[in-house]
Amino acid sequence: MMPTLPWHAIKIPLLILLAVVLVAGTGVWWSSGKLREAKTAQAQQIQANRNAEQSLQRSKTEKQLIQQYRGAYQTLVARGFIGAENRLAWLEAVQQANRDAHLYGVDYSLEPRAPVSASGLPVSSQSAKASVLGQTVMKLRMPILVEDDLTRFFDALQQRTPSLFRIRVCQISRAAETAPQPLNRPELEVECELLWFTVAGSGGSTL
Amino acid sequence: MTRRLIILLNSRQASVLDWRPGRMHWLGEFPTTQAGLTEFQRVLMRHPGFPVRVILDSVDEDYRVETLPHVGGLARDEMLSRKLKQVFRNSAFAGAWRQLREHEGRRDDRYLLAAVIDADWLKPWLAVIDNTQMPLEGITLLSIACQSLLKLLHIRESHALLAYRLGTGLRLSYYQDGLLRFSRLLAGETPTQGPGWAAEEISKTQLYLMGQRMLPREARLQVLLLDASGSLASALAPLNADPAFNARTLDPHTLARALHMPDAFLSSAPEIAPLAAIAGEPLLLNLAPLEFTRRYTEYRWQRGIHLTALAIGVAGIIFTGTQWLRMLDLNDETRQMQVIQQQFETRNRDITRAFPPTPVSAAQLGETIALAQQLEKARATPAPTLAFLSRVFDNQPGITLKKISWQDAGLATPAKPGERHIELDAELIPFDGNYRIAMERIENFMGQLRKETGVLEVLLLRSPVNTDSTAVLMGNTRNGNVPLQAAFTLKLRYRDAP
Repeated sequence: MMPTLPWHAIKIPLLILLAVVLVAGTGVWWSSGKLREAKTAQAQQIQANRNAEQSLQRSKTEKQLIQQYRGAYQTLVARGFIGAENRLAWLEAVQQANRDAHLYGVDYSLEPRAPVSASGLPVSSQSAKASVLGQTVMKLRMPILVEDDLTRFFDALQQRTPSLFRIRVCQISRAAETAPQPLNRPELEVECELLWFTVAGSGGSTL
Repeated sequence: MTRRLIILLNSRQASVLDWRPGRMHWLGEFPTTQAGLTEFQRVLMRHPGFPVRVILDSVDEDYRVETLPHVGGLARDEMLSRKLKQVFRNSAFAGAWRQLREHEGRRDDRYLLAAVIDADWLKPWLAVIDNTQMPLEGITLLSIACQSLLKLLHIRESHALLAYRLGTGLRLSYYQDGLLRFSRLLAGETPTQGPGWAAEEISKTQLYLMGQRMLPREARLQVLLLDASGSLASALAPLNADPAFNARTLDPHTLARALHMPDAFLSSAPEIAPLAAIAGEPLLLNLAPLEFTRRYTEYRWQRGIHLTALAIGVAGIIFTGTQWLRMLDLNDETRQMQVIQQQFETRNRDITRAFPPTPVSAAQLGETIALAQQLEKARATPAPTLAFLSRVFDNQPGITLKKISWQDAGLATPAKPGERHIELDAELIPFDGNYRIAMERIENFMGQLRKETGVLEVLLLRSPVNTDSTAVLMGNTRNGNVPLQAAFTLKLRYRDAP
C-alpha cells in the first residue's frame, strides 16, 4: 500500500525549505553580483594601471627625446628654418652670392609663403603636416658667361645663408642668336626657381 | 543514523535504551503496572520527537517460512498482505521479511512471516507511545535483534541455536546461515524446572526443527548459550555429551567489546545487548500496521526536508562565503593596484614637471629635425647635369645647344626623389635641307645619350619636321637667302651619379 504524502505534516518544513532556498539563493545572487563588480573594478584598475605605466613610459621617452633633440632644434631656429620668414637675410645672401661669384647682377622676386603639399616633398606627409612646413618661391633671373657661373653662384649662396632652400627649376638659354663671341660679355640667360623652406614655429626662441 | 529510543516490551515490563551512534544510555525498566506506565510515559516525554523502535519478547510469537514468487513493488505488497491474512488470520501485528532469493527453479523469494498472535498486553504500551506523539519506527521481535547480535559477533554457523536467558524466560532462536528461521520463548521460572531443564528444552527444539525439516537430520547444531546469570552453564556438559550438539557460552566480555560498551554497562541490564545490536541496523521485519507508523512517515518526510534545507543552507553559506572572500581578495588587489597607479602618476607628474622647456612636443621636435635633415639630404643643383651635358655636347660638333631646362623631379608632383627632368632645345648646324639625314643624326644622338650613365629615358619632343599623319606639314623648296633650320627638342630623365 502506497503511503500518501502527509501534506499537513510537511507544510512548515516545506515553508522552511522555501525560505532557506530563498535566503541561500539571495546570498548566492548577492555575492555573485558583488564578485562580478569586484572583477569589473579589478579589470578597470588593471587597465588604469596599464595606462598610467604607459603614460609614465611616454613621459620618460619624451623627456629623453627633448634632451636629445633640443640642441638640433635650437640650431634650426638659429638657421631660420623654424619661425617667421627672414626674407631680408635671403635677399642679402643672394646679393652677396652674386658678388662672391663675380656675376653681373640678379633680378629676383619672392612669392607669398605657401604650405607645402606632402606629395611635393620626399618627406612623410605626417612630418610635414605636424610641422606645418611652408615654402616661399624665389625667382631669379641673371646673365652668366658660362655654365660654371651658375654653379659658383649656388655654391656661394649655400655659403652665405644658413637657411634651408632647394633649387626647383633652372633654365639656361642663349640670349642672342649669334654664335659665341670671344668678348667677355654674358650671353647666357638664367632663370631659376628656389624654394625657401620654413616651419611656422611656436615660440621657438624660448628653447 | 539518528538518535532513537529502543524499547523492549514483554508481558512483565518495558526496558528503554536511549541510543545514538557511539553513545547510549540505559533509561531503565518499567513494570506492567499503572505506575510503570506512568513512569514510562514520563521518560518518553523527556525525549520528545525521538523515533521509537519497539522490540517484542513474547510467548505468542508465531513464525512461518514461505517461498513465494519473485515480484516487486505494489504486487509484492498485495501478495504479502494476502499471505499474512491467510497465515495469521486477523493478527494485527504481523509482518514479512524477504530473506533471500533461491538460486534454482523459478528463483522464488524466501520469506519469513512472523506475528504476535495475542497482543492485548502490548496495547497499553503502544497507547503511551501514541499519547506522547513519538514517531514509532516499527515493531520487531527479539529474535531479529538477536540475529543482529550474532552478526555483530561474526557468528555465521550454518545451523545455530541461540539460547538466551532473560527475566521472562529462555528464548531459543534457530538461525540458518545467519538468518532467523524459528524462535520461541519458554516462560520464566517454574517449579518444574530442574538443572537439566534448559538442555532438555534445547533437545526438544532440535527435534521440532528436524520434524519441521528446517534442520537436516545429519546436521550438528551449534548451541550458543547467552546468560548473564550463568544458570545455563549447567546445560553445557549434557549438550556436548550428545554428538548432535556443539555447545558453547558467549563470553560477556567479548560481547561488550563487540558492542563497544563497558562490561559493567552490559552486565547492568541483560537486555541491552540485543537492543544495542539492532539499534543501528535497518528494520528487517516490521510487525507494526501502517497506522501505527504514520507519525514516523511524517517524521521521515520532515527530517528529509529539514536535512535538504540544511544542506541547501550550508551550501548557500559556503558558496556565499567563498564568493565573499574572493571578492575581498579582489578588492584588496584592486586597492594595491590603485596605490601602484598613484605611484605611476606621481612619478609621471615629477618627470613632466622636470621637462626641459620646449615650444612643441618631443615628437614634433623629432619630426621637425627629421624633416630638415631630409630636405637637406635631397638637395640638388644643376651642376652635375651641366657637367654631364658639357661632356656629351663636346663630342657633337654639329649640334648647337640653344636652351637647357633643368627640374628637380623630387619637388615635382608626383615626386620622384633623386631624379632630374631635362629639356634640351638644340639645332643641327649646318643643315643642308636633308631632313632624312637630320633625323638619322638626331636618332644617333639620342642613342648615344641613352648609353650614358644615369640616363633613364630619352624622348624626342620636337623634331625638325613633323611627319605625323594627323599634323599639318608646311614649307617650301624655293631657293632663297632664308637659311634652312633643323631644330629639335629632347627630354631626358636623368639621375645624378652618387
